[in-house]
Amino acid sequence: MSSRQTNVEETYEDEENDELFVDLIRKNPRPALIWLAGVAILVLLEIGRAFAGLGQLIGIVSYLAGGLAGVPGYVGGNVAGVAGGIVGSITTAITAVVMLLLVSIPFAGRVPDRAVDVLGLDLTRYQRRWTKRSVLALVLAGGAALFALSPVGGVTALVSSGVDSLASSLPALTSRETIPNQGYRAPDGGWEGTFMGLSPAIAWAIRLTLVFLYAMVCLVWGWKGFEIYRTHYRQADWTPADDTIRRFKGNYWGLFGLAIVLLFVVLALWAPAVSPVQAEHNIYQPNAHDFQYLTDDGEVESTTHVFANLDSRSDGQGTVSPMSYDTYDRWAPLGTTARGQDMMTHLSYGARTSLIIGITAIGLGALIAVVLSLLAAYYKGITDIATVMASDTIQAIPALLLIMLLSVIFQESNHPIAQPLDGGFLLALIFALAYWPGMWRAIRGPSLQVAEQEWVDAAKSYGQTPLRTMRKHMAPYIAGYILIYASLLIGGVIISTAALTFLGLGINPPTPEWGRLIDGGQSYVATSSWHVATIPGIAIVLVVVAFNALGDAIRDAIDPEADVEESEAATAGGGA
Amino acid sequence: MSGNTIETTPNGERNDDERSRGRDTMVSIRDLKTYYEGGGLFDNPPVKAVDGVSFDIYRGETLGLVGESGCGKTTLGRTLIQLEEATGGEVLFDDTDITSLTGDQLYEWRRNAQMVFQDPDSSLNDRMTIGEIVREPLDVHDWKTPRERRNRVKKLLDQVGLAAEHYFRYPHQFSGGQRQRIGIARTLALNPEFIVLDEPVSALDVSVQAEIINLLEELQDELDLTYLFIAHDLSVVRHICDRVAVMYLGNIMEIGPTEELFNDPANPYTHALLSAIPRPDPTQRRDRITLHGTPPNPRYPPSGCPFSTRCPARIRPEAYEALDDDVWDGINALREILRERMRATRSVRERIRERFDMETRFATMDETYEELFGGLDVPPEAEEVLQRVADIAGDHDERRALDALDEEFGSICDGVDPDGSDEEIDPEYYTVGENDRKSYCHRHDDGFREPAPVLDDRH
Ligand code: SF4
Repeated sequence: MSSRQTNVEETYEDEENDELFVDLIRKNPRPALIWLAGVAILVLLEIGRAFAGLGQLIGIVSYLAGGLAGVPGYVGGNVAGVAGGIVGSITTAITAVVMLLLVSIPFAGRVPDRAVDVLGLDLTRYQRRWTKRSVLALVLAGGAALFALSPVGGVTALVSSGVDSLASSLPALTSRETIPNQGYRAPDGGWEGTFMGLSPAIAWAIRLTLVFLYAMVCLVWGWKGFEIYRTHYRQADWTPADDTIRRFKGNYWGLFGLAIVLLFVVLALWAPAVSPVQAEHNIYQPNAHDFQYLTDDGEVESTTHVFANLDSRSDGQGTVSPMSYDTYDRWAPLGTTARGQDMMTHLSYGARTSLIIGITAIGLGALIAVVLSLLAAYYKGITDIATVMASDTIQAIPALLLIMLLSVIFQESNHPIAQPLDGGFLLALIFALAYWPGMWRAIRGPSLQVAEQEWVDAAKSYGQTPLRTMRKHMAPYIAGYILIYASLLIGGVIISTAALTFLGLGINPPTPEWGRLIDGGQSYVATSSWHVATIPGIAIVLVVVAFNALGDAIRDAIDPEADVEESEAATAGGGA
Repeated sequence: MSGNTIETTPNGERNDDERSRGRDTMVSIRDLKTYYEGGGLFDNPPVKAVDGVSFDIYRGETLGLVGESGCGKTTLGRTLIQLEEATGGEVLFDDTDITSLTGDQLYEWRRNAQMVFQDPDSSLNDRMTIGEIVREPLDVHDWKTPRERRNRVKKLLDQVGLAAEHYFRYPHQFSGGQRQRIGIARTLALNPEFIVLDEPVSALDVSVQAEIINLLEELQDELDLTYLFIAHDLSVVRHICDRVAVMYLGNIMEIGPTEELFNDPANPYTHALLSAIPRPDPTQRRDRITLHGTPPNPRYPPSGCPFSTRCPARIRPEAYEALDDDVWDGINALREILRERMRATRSVRERIRERFDMETRFATMDETYEELFGGLDVPPEAEEVLQRVADIAGDHDERRALDALDEEFGSICDGVDPDGSDEEIDPEYYTVGENDRKSYCHRHDDGFREPAPVLDDRH
């Protein structure tokens, strides 16, 4: 065979090799540098918030890591209860090893060959692959042990507290410190403690405008980045994605959906800046925080939010309408809730809750659905049958019933998983479990279809590994479908969350949630406090419709037939 | 690559040795079977896509594989490069039985044998650039450095008549012919010795077909390739192939040098297949042989010769040799109907309807009989047997009806042993013509007349 390998190459050997991405950047760095400078400025403007986000990310990751690290012990403990201590410990160890291997499999391909070569073994390709996986798993185990058993673990705590303190000390363009909107009326007229002595309403409006301006600039700059990449650094002058984007751009209903979705996301991401009062003060611990206000007697006094909230309830008797101040001169752009909390604050933090739940649930569900559908389509036979049975079993139970059942069980037993977000995280996991069969069903057809393509056979014929075949040759074709279905379903998740909370099953107070707002305000719809249920109701409808529009638009955009149909329709129209 | 048996064969010596004897066998296929398991939870018999074929492929030749669609030729090709698992038999590739390779050995072997696929729309992943597509086999086999891989891809694109600039284009931007060239470039990437061409031009415009065929021929000369060319376009086969194998229902019916086989077909099936192409030479006039019915279901192949249900030259029992052709067609059709009925499971409802003489989806035996032999002049002794068969079948004892039919009208072609034993007789390969041509038909046996004169008589 080696004799056959001659005479074919060598020719292009000394040709200039400038087609690599890095080469292109090296040759013409200007546009990239300009764009990066813009990014740097944008980050610097909101540096405080960036660190706050980082801190939250660290928190989430360490929570998840802690949770996962607890699994082997939990499994082992359960087994030990039945089969005795030694068996339990062995089970713990086995579970840990299996988990580590599972984690390392998708990433083992990245492990450089050197890592295995140092062992000096003569390995076949399969042995090599498994050696890489084991090496990675070992490294992970070592890292985990280091964290758990040595002072290194303390370092992370240090880092995370450092990040947190940076977050609070560094400035941000849209932070409450830069543009304060909370103050009190000065006895001699004017305002004390607000931005440039402006009224809280105007100060808040400025901050709100800044938030949206900033978000818009970020978006535009991101798009600009893509265009710079496309014109200067992308080797292909056309890709299928270009067509998709072009088709999406012409879809106004989809663009409307995207706009609302973005609005929703900005609301969630910048919740601390958008809300007129800190959620911590107004919602979570209103009795621990006080503020100053001007009494009717012309004196500046101090009170806690708890008392003030009691007087500011919009419950049919008293009402703080949208775009008004309450009796304590607190600015309430969307009025107050039935419990006297600030509606805007509640709404924006509620958006956060919904978004986190939606993304976690749909992301996890979609992951399960995609992995299972790819495996089933590639291996067929028994894998396929097992997947069908699993999904049928889950789908046999009405989704809402299943969700209610599980959430009651976990919440009543006060399982630690029900803690984050006051049950929100638990809800997300339950949604993922309940909804993956639906998503799997939606992509099953496309998966089976793509598995029949000859390029999958071709990949097999030159020995591509199943995992890579699925990732490179099958998954990209499923991605569009799962995106469509996910965006349709995320609206459903948001509604279901609200519905469950409305029934008192979903997310417990104090975590803000739109469903609870509607629940609290539904009896006042006919009174002067109509806004309490109406505003979050409209918000939910808008968001759900927007996600649906987005899903439709994605479906049209990824369908190459759409172009053909369009041109056919055009010619037909011209003929008529 | 150590431990790979293909590598360790002392290639050079053996080659010289064999070449001196004339031909150098590259792949030898022995009694190869590829069955697809009956789907579902029911215990269906498997589909016998390839049902025991044996032949050799010589180094450097182009072997054509022709047959109607569904005859198993694509499955055979796919089995040869191990895209399908063989159910039985062996495929010796330079003395290594590749059907037994697994894991690393299979992975290493794969670079020796590649495939060009039929549909250029489906064979290229259109989310990848041409460069990525052609490079993938090199990446999979960790061939040299990334830079050398890129250069090789460009060289390959050049070799198949595309340009290096096409590296970053997507398949969408190419025509069918160009896409097939890309597929060929990918096939060549690992420098295989043996390539299965699965109807490589059938999806292309006629104007482009010739270009691709020429390209394949050039590449074969340049790179010492061995082709298995699967096709149903016989004129293309005649043009490009050194030898041709004719396949029917999972069996090779005839195999031999192209010109000889085309000019002087031996097997009745080859006759039938070739008579379908218009002949440019009017002096060689031969009536078009029309085959009745469709090929049998490969799940239930007939006993004896696979072609026996439709063969125009089928050997008939001496007593009925003079029987009218139309009557024979009727008898053959009756046999098929009985076989069909035997397999079909009647639902309870249908049984009940039958009991009360109501209509079912199975026509009654009398109707069938009327339809088959109605207007024909059936001699009384045959008539009597046929009536008896129809009566037995009317009682839903198809098994016995078939036995009765075979007893009277069956011949060695149906697997009935003329010496009366119960054993089923399959045809064997007879050497015909001058150049090691083989035909799978009883008629080449000394006891029978050759197919050609029989066909002339009957048609
Ligand atoms: S063996 Fe009989 S049925 Fe088969 S091809 Fe020959 S003549 Fe026809």
